[in-house]
Amino acid sequence: MAAAGEANGGTGKLESSLDVPFPSSREATIALRSLSPDKEPRKGGISKLITVSGSTLSRWSADEARILRVSVNSFLDHLSLVMETMEMFGP
Amino acid sequence: MTVVIGFEGSANKIGIGIIRDGEVLSNPRRTYITPPGQGFLPSDTARHHRAVILTVLKEALEQAGLKPADIDCVAYTKGPGMGAPLVTVALVARTVSQLWGKPLLGVNHCIGHIEMGRLITKANNPTVLYVSGGNTQVIAYSEQRYRIFGETIDIAVGNCLDRFARVIKISNDPSPGYNIEQMAKKGSQYVELPYTVKGMDVSFSGILSYIEDAAHKMLSSGQCTSEDLCFSLQETLFSMLVEITERAMAHCGSQEVLIVGGVGCNLRLQEMMGVMCKERGAKLFATDERFCIDNGAMIAQAGWEMFRSGQVTELEDSWITQRYRTDEVEVTWRD
Repeated sequence: MAAAGEANGGTGKLESSLDVPFPSSREATIALRSLSPDKEPRKGGISKLITVSGSTLSRWSADEARILRVSVNSFLDHLSLVMETMEMFGP
Repeated sequence: MTVVIGFEGSANKIGIGIIRDGEVLSNPRRTYITPPGQGFLPSDTARHHRAVILTVLKEALEQAGLKPADIDCVAYTKGPGMGAPLVTVALVARTVSQLWGKPLLGVNHCIGHIEMGRLITKANNPTVLYVSGGNTQVIAYSEQRYRIFGETIDIAVGNCLDRFARVIKISNDPSPGYNIEQMAKKGSQYVELPYTVKGMDVSFSGILSYIEDAAHKMLSSGQCTSEDLCFSLQETLFSMLVEITERAMAHCGSQEVLIVGGVGCNLRLQEMMGVMCKERGAKLFATDERFCIDNGAMIAQAGWEMFRSGQVTELEDSWITQRYRTDEVEVTWRD
């Protein structure tokens, strides 16, 4: 799992991206469809995009570091729960 | 034969239950209990649920003696409730729904309580008093909706009780409301509190402020005991609930009352409601703590009704919501 964070001086926005490998695209798609329905609790200042191509890729942009940190942390907690569920109840 | 598994975790209880055509096959549950004087916060509650949910899921399947292939539908609480715990539970429900290839159903928590009450008590068409830590509503069914006839205009009655329990620092095990009920039995002095029925509705935040203040003044001066305050609070709150329930019954011409929700376990509330029902020649229905406290089987039961009447929740629409009115749901399974 590779993660990268960078400050984009131009727009004052912070970005972070995560590349999560899965054993198969089926599992990656299951994770995507479990993780994407819920909206971010925070109304503004954060946007998140999750896509799948073989593995699951998520991309964030936020106005402040702490908003970005909270969102990425929550995502990682949720992701690990989904992965544990797949491990325990998968085929 | 339709088998539904239900996931519930909107407050501090995490429960997963399996129902097959009206029979409860399993209903394991765990409660997140905080130290005396403390309530439960969303992130801590979510963390608690996350730690135990997969174990509880295993238990539900094992106790029912079923395999995932035997399940027909996966139901979960869409709302209302606390955001973080709701998400934790929804994630697992969505994931197993996809893993097992079963349809998903987002259930309204309040309707879960109602449908479980109807199943267990076999009440025909009751006026429902739904009272818990998070909700206080008087509900009656009419034309495909569970209509809200009266409700709290601020906090739930259970919330008032729980927060008072924190002030007098009693244990939250098994629940603050249960411990208030036990203490109230030993109360002897009635302390007059504000009585705030507002037409069809009720208000509790003023009573809470008043009794918090009274507790600090009267307990330190020895004017009364905590038991007296517990007793007085219950008598006041429950009288108000009986009044608005009776008002709704009079409007609907109803001869049945069903009490659901965690506060419904309270025997004093049941007793007081029973007196009013007897006076009107009506019947009172209530369930025991297995089903009036939040549990997974109630979500499974509501899911069973919804699924059999053709409803399904697409994954893209399966987001959770902290606010979800009881009358927003189309009750397609009743005439």
